[in-house]
Amino acid sequence: MIAIQTEGLTKRYANGRGCSDVSITIKEGEAFGFLGPNGAGKSTCVKMLVGLIFPTEGRASLLGEPIGSLAARQFVGYLPELYRYQEWLSGEEVVRLHAKLCGIPREVANVRIPALLEKVGIGLRSSDRVRNYSKGMQQRLGLACALVGDPKILFLDEPSSAMDPIGRSEVRQLLHELKGEGKTIFLNSHLMEDVESLCDRVALLNNGEIMQQGTVSEVLQQRPRWRLRIGGFTSSLFPWIQEESGLNMSIIEISPDGLAVIEAELEEEEQAGWLHALLIEQGMTLYESARAKTRLEEWFVTELSGKSHRGEKV
Amino acid sequence: MTTIWSMTWKELLRKKVLLLTVILTVLFLITFWFIASTLGNSYSGSNRGLPSSDPGLLITKFSEGMVILGLGFFFASFVLAFLAIFSSSSVISGEAEQGIMQALMPRPIARWKWYLGRWLGYVSFCMVYALALFSAILIITNIHATIPKEATNIVIAYFLFASVVPLLISLSMLGSSFFSAIGNGVFMTMLYGGGWLGGMIDKVASQFASLKHEMGSSLDTISGLLSLAMPADGLQRTMLDRLFNYSSLQELISSSNNDFFVIFGIGSAPSPAFLWYALVYTLVALALGLWRFQRKDL
Repeated sequence: MIAIQTEGLTKRYANGRGCSDVSITIKEGEAFGFLGPNGAGKSTCVKMLVGLIFPTEGRASLLGEPIGSLAARQFVGYLPELYRYQEWLSGEEVVRLHAKLCGIPREVANVRIPALLEKVGIGLRSSDRVRNYSKGMQQRLGLACALVGDPKILFLDEPSSAMDPIGRSEVRQLLHELKGEGKTIFLNSHLMEDVESLCDRVALLNNGEIMQQGTVSEVLQQRPRWRLRIGGFTSSLFPWIQEESGLNMSIIEISPDGLAVIEAELEEEEQAGWLHALLIEQGMTLYESARAKTRLEEWFVTELSGKSHRGEKV
Repeated sequence: MTTIWSMTWKELLRKKVLLLTVILTVLFLITFWFIASTLGNSYSGSNRGLPSSDPGLLITKFSEGMVILGLGFFFASFVLAFLAIFSSSSVISGEAEQGIMQALMPRPIARWKWYLGRWLGYVSFCMVYALALFSAILIITNIHATIPKEATNIVIAYFLFASVVPLLISLSMLGSSFFSAIGNGVFMTMLYGGGWLGGMIDKVASQFASLKHEMGSSLDTISGLLSLAMPADGLQRTMLDRLFNYSSLQELISSSNNDFFVIFGIGSAPSPAFLWYALVYTLVALALGLWRFQRKDL
């Protein structure tokens, strides 16, 4: 079943920001990474999906229910990026308030809330007022609030941005557990490592528009890169090899004894064999040749380099 | 809705607004005690020697009570108005700016229920406070002078005294969906001040016939417009009239006293239609606030 579907979802603000014509489809149980530079419009999209703001154009649904409706919001657990909880309440009271708003019976809440607070790591401080919580603790509390209704769809906007490395690791583990339980996860994050390890599919948003979307392996393999370890390499030959092969290449490592690692961006896999032959013809020794594993972070930087994006330098 | 209502009570009880209000109210009541005591003694001194059954003494003691109560409610109405305004002036914009609403509103609760829950929370809290303040002023005045004992009039007067609460909170919540927290607080204070000024112009003009003659209808127009923009002062004047059943006592009170009472708003109540206007004003502000919040991007 389709968990999240948007068709031409658009939000226009007077200052020109917002997002435009966002169309995505996310299946139930999938983890979806929504990526983009600061100010790209990611949070605007999420806010529309959870019913905080109203779209200017387009439509969207959560498990078949139109966004913003009470029925759609029944399915949602949301951790906003910029938020604060009522500082005059204790952590447990905040989660209890959210449980009440989700319509969870008291006896269920009495069992679920302490377990959840323990799970997110604030069990011992749950009776403290929120005003005494650090940012990281507030983020843990936010996760507890997002999870208290046992939602089918989780919208997480930078869920571990304020946490220390231990906290980040714990959140990563928690998200994997939640995915294992079959929850649909919509993750906005700048932590590409987390996105790469968790998400099945990603979309890249820039200036409010989706530039690319697909499975993680699809977006990373759009232009295969090969890494070659060679001997007898001289840097004076490199421009000639580039010209002769017509490929975009770069030197990754080079040592004085002629050992080098070079990377080539191929348009077709067959070009790899031709490149091997070219290097051997020039008297070089090919020690190793393998498809380079591109990281999501590299892909992100490559896709956005040279492009303008709102609020940031090119 | 009851969840939001009880959350609002918890918020008001735990935040510093309650502590400050209690401290200021206690200070106000202590000051009022001394004023009531001083005025009570001064009247008693001027009428010493008259038999207790003397009708003149009864009217004097009643007039004395009217002056003390008029003074007490004159200031109490400010205290109540400011509590109502400042407790609710940041409810929407402030919570949206802080990010509290971003976490709460995606929950499966209709926006109108949230809005009404908050409204009921603020209104019920401030009306309980109004009851405590109203009772304290009557009790203190009764110790030092004579107060009206007609239960129906007292109950009606309380509801008129407290009626500024839903009026101000409806308007303040409506303003909060348009302006920032600080901007709305300033706007509401100035609007309340404007309404009070309109009432004051009306009272002063009625005291100085020559002034009214010179200024013609322009004073009436200004005070009328200000009272229409903020009907709180008119409600307070109606409250004092109902409390003292002023229309039936008017013939017994000397004209010099009458002038003095008018300064405190006694005997200068607007027409009964004004009460209907204030009710419609409150309902329209509440309905507009609900309508606006239903469509607001958070």
